[in-house]
Amino acid sequence: MSNAKLIRLERVAKDYRMGEVTVHALRDVDLEIAAGELVVLLGPSGCGKTTTLNLIGGLDKPTTGRIFVRGEEISAMDEKALTLYRRRQVGFVFQFFNLIPTLSACENIELSLALVGGDGSLRARSAGLLNMVGLEDRCDHFPSQLSGGEQQRVAIARAFANHAGLLLCDEPTGNLDADTGQKVLGVVQRMNREKNATVVLVTHNTAISAIANRVVHLRNGAIDLIEENDQPKDVSDLAW
Amino acid sequence: MSPIWPGKSVYRNLLRKTLRDLRTSLAQTIALIVIVALGITSLIALISAYRDLSTSYNHTYDQLHFDDADFVINRSPAAVAGQVAAVDGVAAVTGRLVVDAGMQLPPGADSGAGNQIRSRLIGIPSDRHPEVNDLLVLKGNYLPAEGGAAVLLESHFADVYGLGPGDTVSPLIDGRAMPLKVAGTAASPEYLIVSPSRQEVFPSASTFAVLFVPLADLQRITNAGNTVNDIVVTFKPDADPARLTAAIQAILVPYGLSETTPRAEQPSYAALKLDLDGYRQIAVLMPLLILLVAAGSVYVMLARQVRAQRPQIGLMKALGYTKTAVVLHYLTFALCLAVAGSILGVAAGFPLARWLTGAYATELGIPLVQTKLYIDLVVYGVLLSVFVALAAGLGPVLVSARALPAVAMRMDPAATLTTGRPTLIERFIHMPFWLRLPVRNVFRVRRRSLSTGIGVVFSFILVLTGWSFIGSMSYLLSHNFNDIERWDMTASFDRLLTAPDLAQIQGTEGVRQAVPAVQLPASVGNAGGSKEVLLTAVPPDQTMHSFQLQGGVTPAEALSPGKIILTSRIADDLGIKTGDNVDVETTQGKQTLAVGGLSDELNSSVAYMSLDEFQRWTGSPEPRFNFTYLTADSAKSNDIEASLYRIPGASSVQFKSAIESDWRSLLGFFNIFMAVILGFALVMSFALLFNAMTVNVLEQQREFATMRSVGVGRLRIALQMAVETAIVWLLALVPGLLLGRLVAMWMAGSFQSDLLNFQITVTPANYILTAAGILITMLLASLPAIRRVNRLNLADATKVYT
Repeated sequence: MSNAKLIRLERVAKDYRMGEVTVHALRDVDLEIAAGELVVLLGPSGCGKTTTLNLIGGLDKPTTGRIFVRGEEISAMDEKALTLYRRRQVGFVFQFFNLIPTLSACENIELSLALVGGDGSLRARSAGLLNMVGLEDRCDHFPSQLSGGEQQRVAIARAFANHAGLLLCDEPTGNLDADTGQKVLGVVQRMNREKNATVVLVTHNTAISAIANRVVHLRNGAIDLIEENDQPKDVSDLAW
Repeated sequence: MSPIWPGKSVYRNLLRKTLRDLRTSLAQTIALIVIVALGITSLIALISAYRDLSTSYNHTYDQLHFDDADFVINRSPAAVAGQVAAVDGVAAVTGRLVVDAGMQLPPGADSGAGNQIRSRLIGIPSDRHPEVNDLLVLKGNYLPAEGGAAVLLESHFADVYGLGPGDTVSPLIDGRAMPLKVAGTAASPEYLIVSPSRQEVFPSASTFAVLFVPLADLQRITNAGNTVNDIVVTFKPDADPARLTAAIQAILVPYGLSETTPRAEQPSYAALKLDLDGYRQIAVLMPLLILLVAAGSVYVMLARQVRAQRPQIGLMKALGYTKTAVVLHYLTFALCLAVAGSILGVAAGFPLARWLTGAYATELGIPLVQTKLYIDLVVYGVLLSVFVALAAGLGPVLVSARALPAVAMRMDPAATLTTGRPTLIERFIHMPFWLRLPVRNVFRVRRRSLSTGIGVVFSFILVLTGWSFIGSMSYLLSHNFNDIERWDMTASFDRLLTAPDLAQIQGTEGVRQAVPAVQLPASVGNAGGSKEVLLTAVPPDQTMHSFQLQGGVTPAEALSPGKIILTSRIADDLGIKTGDNVDVETTQGKQTLAVGGLSDELNSSVAYMSLDEFQRWTGSPEPRFNFTYLTADSAKSNDIEASLYRIPGASSVQFKSAIESDWRSLLGFFNIFMAVILGFALVMSFALLFNAMTVNVLEQQREFATMRSVGVGRLRIALQMAVETAIVWLLALVPGLLLGRLVAMWMAGSFQSDLLNFQITVTPANYILTAAGILITMLLASLPAIRRVNRLNLADATKVYT
């Protein structure tokens, strides 16, 4: 983990119109995340965790405030620049895996690989990424033929297809049982430790926060508390 | 940074996804392909069939050297043909002897043996085929070169009575039977529709026989010497028809030229042209209607399918796919449907066109049929389907692709947020729970209900139009022959008869009533132009023909002295109304009459006036007539017919039942054609509704799964879906039926011709059957969707964002 700040949020706010009601999902959030850091965004439902993640990932735009990633203000980017940003600099892992049901495990990874180019055949590279998450024998399996944990690991492999070094995980274990969730988190932690990937992980599971360098507690769209953790636990030591 | 435009491998991957997406929702894919294919099939089949028919007519006319003009003269030496041939611009000439006579149906006839009918003997060369109005021998042989009491039967007549080579027919010439042995049957370009004259375009193959006999034999039997009374001519392609006609008339006037008929006015040609013109309207309008419905359906369905893939679109964007790549991906989806639909449509369209052409040609007896593939139609069809599919896909894809990924991946707000509100109707009516839910569902996501409703309205339009056309034609004939024409038979005479003759007819055993009338060809016109009509003068108080007069005018008023009844169509064509004056030109000279009333008649080219008015024209002191309407004892109709033919000057006796039968036969093709259209409508409706219902269920999958998770039974859910379907049907019912009626009326207007005054009649039965049929189709189309809900994996389906 370096001290260089990879991500910076300055007075970021996000409002949603839900029918006739305006929901203030985020209120003037300031946050910095260093490269190689594993940060957990923790809080109850509706506190703004996923909104924060989506804003960092360029999936959404803030209503006010500025967001910088690697020194570039992504909140000011146009559609084209945001597309390239997502393609090259971010990897997403979603709660519901969001694999394309009509593509096999390898093909789902190739969906991202094909965008970023690189040496070697797509298949070899996708198989390599699957190998990295321990699913080397699942290349030709379709999502419906994979367990939830396997699907999420495919999603992680896909997230690493662009070697972005920034992994954004939205409740990656929220849809998995404890054992499977642990396996998935193990992969995430390994990526953080071995590949020096910066990980921002959204969860409402307090137990998971033990693996983080920092835990950002969110409540009602604002940061309630930031906890530093000098001794992050190993995933294998977690229990929930 | 890498370029924004992704490489080939990306598109290869996306294409794979497209094909698998199509396969995953195979039933919906097939339904959409079927809708596109039906649109293309209808376009290709109906327009190709029209073109094939048009080509077949022209081919027949070319091959058989159909005349450009026909000149009827009193009598001239056969050598006059040589004089006409010498006129510069004349391609060929044939001089013929044409004699109208009676004939008893021979013992070999399939029906009516011994009955008397009209016949027309046409003397043609026996040693060679005529240069003009050649015959295509269909059975047997051409006339023997040596002549010898042989005859070629016109094929329609031969087919009606099952006559053929070896049989004997005996036309009556001057009361004497002239036995002729049938050498063969033949098709004639003059009688593709067997019309005796311009005033009698009704098909009458059963009561009018055309016999081609050796010219020399006919001249001998009729004591005509070496003379002819009919000159038929073809012109060279670059000739000036008007100049040539005038030049030929100048040659023939000394021989008693009485009638010149250019090709355009030849009865069979004109009738076929009218028929074909009517068909052309339908052949263009029906595919347009079907294509419009297909386009609308594809638009609605594709838009919904693309909307259903919003989360995937969001994901693709989250992964870094450009908007262009996403749009192209989904347009490929639409393109695949268009291409598959086009291939199927083209593959089905041409065989159907050939079948339609064949059915029509067989029905009318078109001897030389030509069919071909029209590449331009294929191109139009494919381009149209591609355009429609791309246009249908583009809108929703652009909307989804423009959305921020986080927004696209969230649940569709329209499907989730506009919920939880009681409907307006619930404020006034307390509904049981089982009804409340489907009612709220219908009004909750209005876009979904609207798109399904539009599909249902389209179905109403297609089905009601097809159904009411078939029903209207049947009603039109029944109404005409049962309610309007109240006579059983008619008799025509080629001289004017007087009161004693009428007394004789009325005294014939079996005759209940005989009403005298006069029929004569006339030209009705004003400054706006003129129209050829068959003018009938009748006693104002007669009840044999019931007038359908507009504006409350009574027959007595409309037929008062100095007045004439016209048909609405002729009045429209001439731009006149009741009370206006028209010039009426007949063999009795030119008269000016006031329009006494406008009547809706089956055949538009007719007019009526009072018998007294005719008597005033002729200046005759006593009533005279050349036509009678008769009601008669059906058991004695053959005897009555025979006694009518014994009256000197009797030229034709016709039975209403035979005319109605001929009409129904002529319109047989119409029914086949409309049945095909109705078939299209039903299949398209099913495909359309199947897709609408399936997408409905897909969009509510999580809700149905949740209901089942909390213990709601399958039957209850199926019932709820059925009720929701019925509510959408109910909402679409009134606009659907109204629009269906409007479209049917609009199309019927384009089917109108001088030959047939087609009025659309949408009966309550049409409405009820259409409405019931659509409801049943909707419920049947829901079955696969209901099965799908019953088989849902509840654990999965409850998590799926829809």
